[in-house]
Amino acid sequence: MLEIKCPYCGNRSQNEFAYGGDATVKRPELNTEVSDQDWDNFVYYRKNPRGNHLELWHHISGCRQWFKVLRNTATHDIIQTMEMKENP
Amino acid sequence: MSKISPLSNSHELGIHGNCKNKDQAKLLAIREITNIKIYQLSKFKKSNFDINNFSLDSYKLPTESGLSTGNENLRIQWQAPNVWMILSHNNNIIQEIERQCEDDDFAITDLSHSRAILEVKGKDALNIIKKGSPLNLNNFRKNNCANSVYHGITVSIDMVNDDPITFNIMALRSFAGSFHHAITDASLEFGFNAI
Repeated sequence: MLEIKCPYCGNRSQNEFAYGGDATVKRPELNTEVSDQDWDNFVYYRKNPRGNHLELWHHISGCRQWFKVLRNTATHDIIQTMEMKENP
Repeated sequence: MSKISPLSNSHELGIHGNCKNKDQAKLLAIREITNIKIYQLSKFKKSNFDINNFSLDSYKLPTESGLSTGNENLRIQWQAPNVWMILSHNNNIIQEIERQCEDDDFAITDLSHSRAILEVKGKDALNIIKKGSPLNLNNFRKNNCANSVYHGITVSIDMVNDDPITFNIMALRSFAGSFHHAITDASLEFGFNAI
């Protein structure tokens, strides 16, 4: 069981959170020509790194805020948590 | 039209559980809190309103996470950044809120009929919460509040008093039956008085 530090509420059990996916994925720019390959990459394809991974988490049973978590997928160590506007 | 409280069919008054040879006056007391107005106050991102200018019965909105304020008739809980929950036995509290809050600054939502609230009072109240919630209560003090889970049900926990230890635990009305069962089931080993 992970203990995740919500940037707003502090340390809480993983029970209170929901995983929200890869935080590094960027939506293709609006009003530009987007190839099928780029849409595929945005919608379906994800990297599966061994090591540090920037993720989105939702404190769904707490303050209901989204935030970013820098987590090591091999050791489950949480290196840093930050608000959405912040970067590691 | 008569009001039906969320736990009116579940909350059976009387002594329950392991209370043999125990002083009934010192038993854990569990009470449904009814006839209460609940409003969610959400400040818009674009708003420049200074929340220090807002107060209800001289209580200001808590600005730090995990804090609540108020008295027996009024509780103001910090829920999230720029989001507060106001619980009051004053049926006209909305008029006072609307008097101080402009429509351009706040979204006010009436949640009065969508929550079930149990008050758990007594020295074992802390243990009742520990049995079902992962929340760290070691540093929990009077006027601390937190949203967490209790046996999988999202709840809002507010420590109203520390002598005697009193918690108000609030859950969605649709979970009221399971929520009440989880709390009372955890209380059986200590024995409790449903009032």
